[in-house]
This record gives sequence, C-alpha cells and structure tokens, in this order.
Amino acid sequence: MIELVNFYLIPGIVLGCIYALGAIGLSLVFGILRFAHFAHGDLLTLGAYFSLVAATALAVPPLWALPVAIVATAAAALLIDRLFYRPLRARHSVATVIASFGVALMIRSVIQLIWGPQDRVFETGIRHPLVIGDFRLAERHIYIVAAAATIIALLHLFLTRTRAGKAMRAMSDEPSLARVSGINTERVVAWTWVLAAALLAAGGLFLGIDTQVKPQMGFNLILPMFAAAILGGIGKPYGAIAGGLVIGLAEELATVPIGGMPLVPPSYKSAVAFVILVAMLLWRPTGLFRGRVF
Amino acid sequence: MSVILTADGLVGGYGDADVLHGVDLAVEATDIAVIVGPNGAGKSTALKALFGLVELRQGRVTLLGEDITGAAPDTIVPRGMGYVPQERNIFPNLTVHENLEMGAYTRRGDIGAAYDRVYDLFPPLAERRRSPAGTLSGGQRQMVAIGRALMLEPRILLLDEPTVGLSPLYIEQIFDRIVEINRAGVAVLMVEQNARQALRLASRGYVLAGGRNRFSDTGPNLLRDPEVARSFLGS
Repeated sequence: MIELVNFYLIPGIVLGCIYALGAIGLSLVFGILRFAHFAHGDLLTLGAYFSLVAATALAVPPLWALPVAIVATAAAALLIDRLFYRPLRARHSVATVIASFGVALMIRSVIQLIWGPQDRVFETGIRHPLVIGDFRLAERHIYIVAAAATIIALLHLFLTRTRAGKAMRAMSDEPSLARVSGINTERVVAWTWVLAAALLAAGGLFLGIDTQVKPQMGFNLILPMFAAAILGGIGKPYGAIAGGLVIGLAEELATVPIGGMPLVPPSYKSAVAFVILVAMLLWRPTGLFRGRVF
Repeated sequence: MSVILTADGLVGGYGDADVLHGVDLAVEATDIAVIVGPNGAGKSTALKALFGLVELRQGRVTLLGEDITGAAPDTIVPRGMGYVPQERNIFPNLTVHENLEMGAYTRRGDIGAAYDRVYDLFPPLAERRRSPAGTLSGGQRQMVAIGRALMLEPRILLLDEPTVGLSPLYIEQIFDRIVEINRAGVAVLMVEQNARQALRLASRGYVLAGGRNRFSDTGPNLLRDPEVARSFLGS
C-alpha cells in the first residue's frame, strides 16, 4: 500500500500535472484556432531549455526562472504563429496541421544546434525527501504539484474573470458570432498562444526538474498530451486537466506488479496512453466532457 | 428624416457564384424595414453583405453617411450597427450575462446601464443571468441574441429571421420586443420568413427575388398589392 502511493500514485499525479499543462494548451489552441497543434511537444522542450538557460544565467532556483521562460516561450509561440500559421489561417486546417509538423521538426533541430544533443539536468543539489510516517515525498514533487495547481487556478480566473479570457471562451464557442460582436479575433489568437506557451514553459520546467532536459523530451509527450486532451473533450480546457491526471495515473498504475509481474512492462507504459486514445476515439470521440469531435 | 443605412447596387456572393445581382436598400432612423422573398432570394446574403461578411464585387454601403463597404465587423459594430445572425447567434457555454458582455466588447468603461436596459426589455433573462445560454429555451436564446446586439446601443439593428423555429407565443413576444426596441430609437432591418406578420409592422418593406429588388413600399401597402400577395405571400 505504502509502496503503491510512493512509487506509483505520487509519480502518476506529478506526470499527470505535466500532461495536463500541455493538454490544456492543446485544447485551447484547438478550440480557438481549430487545428491540432503537433508542435506542442517541441514548444514544451523549448520552454524547458529556456528555463534551464534562465536558471543557470541568473543563478536562481529553477522555479524562479519560470517567469523568464514564460516570456521567452510566449515570444517564440507568437513568432511561430506570425511566420507559419497566420499565412495559412484562411485555408483548410489540414494545411496548418501539416505546417505544425514542420514547425515541430524545426524547433527540435534548432534546439539540438544551439544546446547539443546531450541530456542536461537542473542543478538542484541533493535533497532529502520529506518523510511523513511511511510516505516519502520528494520536495520537487510537492512543488511541481503545488505550482501546477496554482497555474491552473490562475488560468481559471483568467478565463472566467477577464475580458480577454471571456473573449477566448466566446471565440471557442462560436467564432463567427465572436467576429460579428466586434471581437478582434487576431488579438484573441495572440492571447491563446501566450497562455498555451506559459503552460508549456511550466510543463517543460517541471518535466526537466523531474527527469532531464533533452531535445526529444516534448516530442515524447505529444501522444499522452493528445490522449489527455481528447479524453477531456477537445476544446474543453477543464476536461484536459482531468484527462492529464487520468493518463498520468493510468501510465504509472499500469506498471504496478501484481503477483510479482508488472501489469504492463514499464518500457511499454506509453502504450497505455495510446490504448486509451484509441478506445476514446472509437467509443466516445467527444471525450468525457462532451467536447468537439476531432 | 435622417437616413441611417443605405445600400446601392449590391452585387456579390460567396466565391465565384454571385447571389446578389443588384440590391438597393435604405433605412431611416424611425424605420422597421423588412425584407421578404422566396427561399434563395438572397435575403440573408444581403444582410450579411451590409455587415461586411460577403464579398461584394459592386455596390456601396453607407452607415450614418460614411462608406463602410467591405469594412470588418469589429470596425462596423462600434459605429452603431448591430447584427443578429439567424443561427449560432449565442455563445452556448457562456452565461447569459457573459453573452451580453461580449456584445459590449468593443466598448470600454461602465456598461451597467446597458445591462439594465436589456434585462428590462427581456425580464426572463434577468432571472437566468448566471445560467449558460445554451441551457435556455429557443425563445429565450433569441432574447439573448438580440440583447447581445443591443449592448452597444446601436443606431440600427439587423435581424436575420428572428422568429425562425419559435412557437407562435414566442413569435408574438419577439415581434412586440422589436417594436419596443424601435420605439426606443433604434432603426430595425430584418429578414423574415413570417412575411405577413412582419410586413404588418413594417414602415418599409422590400420583396427580393433572384438577388434583385422586386417590390418596395410600406409593409401594409405590399400586403395589399395583389401581385405581391399572389407571387410571394402565397395568398
């Protein structure tokens, strides 16, 4: 029981938070720009590298580097939108989807060119876990979950309390009505990228702290992030949070040993997200929270 | 009489196919203007063209004396023209109150008085202001749609089939409210499928067919015209 919590449940929640941060942005972009953004994972990688560079250059703890990483990642997302997605806006969304594959490759290559192919780690020093009874909580896990929860709460406030946030929800609901209401749709698009990038910078930082920073880290996350977004109902940012946690927990819990043998060998755990994704698309393509059909 | 909106010789449509082949309209400040005509006559397209939502190859649209031909909605709305599309005219996942707020999006500053006016006009909305608009009945949704367009206190309101799909009771209510809105000083231009009922209210009626003006007169005069009745009102 203790083992289940320490080695499966807690890592599952941490992973789920990271997936959720990516999936929310994926869901927002799909709702407002109406395309599946395949460069989302690589933008997360970029966010992780920006965090690493900022933390090293400013010699501050990783979490302190987050604001800098958010600004840099948002700027990159806006630039990418301006250069590659905006010219295709009037076309069928398939064009933009394909463009996003290209952007994904470009980001990954640029990262390798600048920072090299080797893995890097955040300098956090050796920290002893917090021990409560038999439960062991790594400090990084506590603050990853706390920070993710804070960010999601702030996002909720933004979407429900601010003029820009409501305009985003309006445009996700009925884009043509948003236009005839006089909403400046390009500005809403810009807000969407800023939010998605902020969430990705956080996701990249957290994944980097939890594991390593490497050029493929985000690409490997594309599948679980899409699975989480679809599970939550595409275009439903709150659903994506639940979707992320379900996928993260499912991946970790699937490797729990039963009778000496793991249910799913750990090296196959990313297949769990894939199975959930396929099952959802087959039986309930609108997701758990009745989003759009892909 | 001050002219609010004019359209001269509108020709255009979607892509290569023209739907409008020369449509003229004029709406004055006190008018309820009604466009009727058979299916495919270009009624809704004409309304969209006024709002910059249709590619115009020829013609000119003016609002309060200024040329707005081809202008984007976010520049037209603040100049005093509101538009209520026929379908998808509410934000279903936003609350009633948020729907209204989106109607005032281009306006900064206090919009409290604008909310009050809409809630006074449509009391059922005041009770449901915290509900997602998608959970309302058809008639109430139409109230949200019209209310949203009224939030900027437009000089003229364009309505695309405001009573389509509503029960007779609601049709009556919506028409009553439209008259009330007009009495408060908002010019109205609407496309209507319930032609007889709408023309009865119309100080100006247009019969469109094949993308062209066929008849224009006051609503009651059009109703009395035997040719209009025979060809377009299905007497």
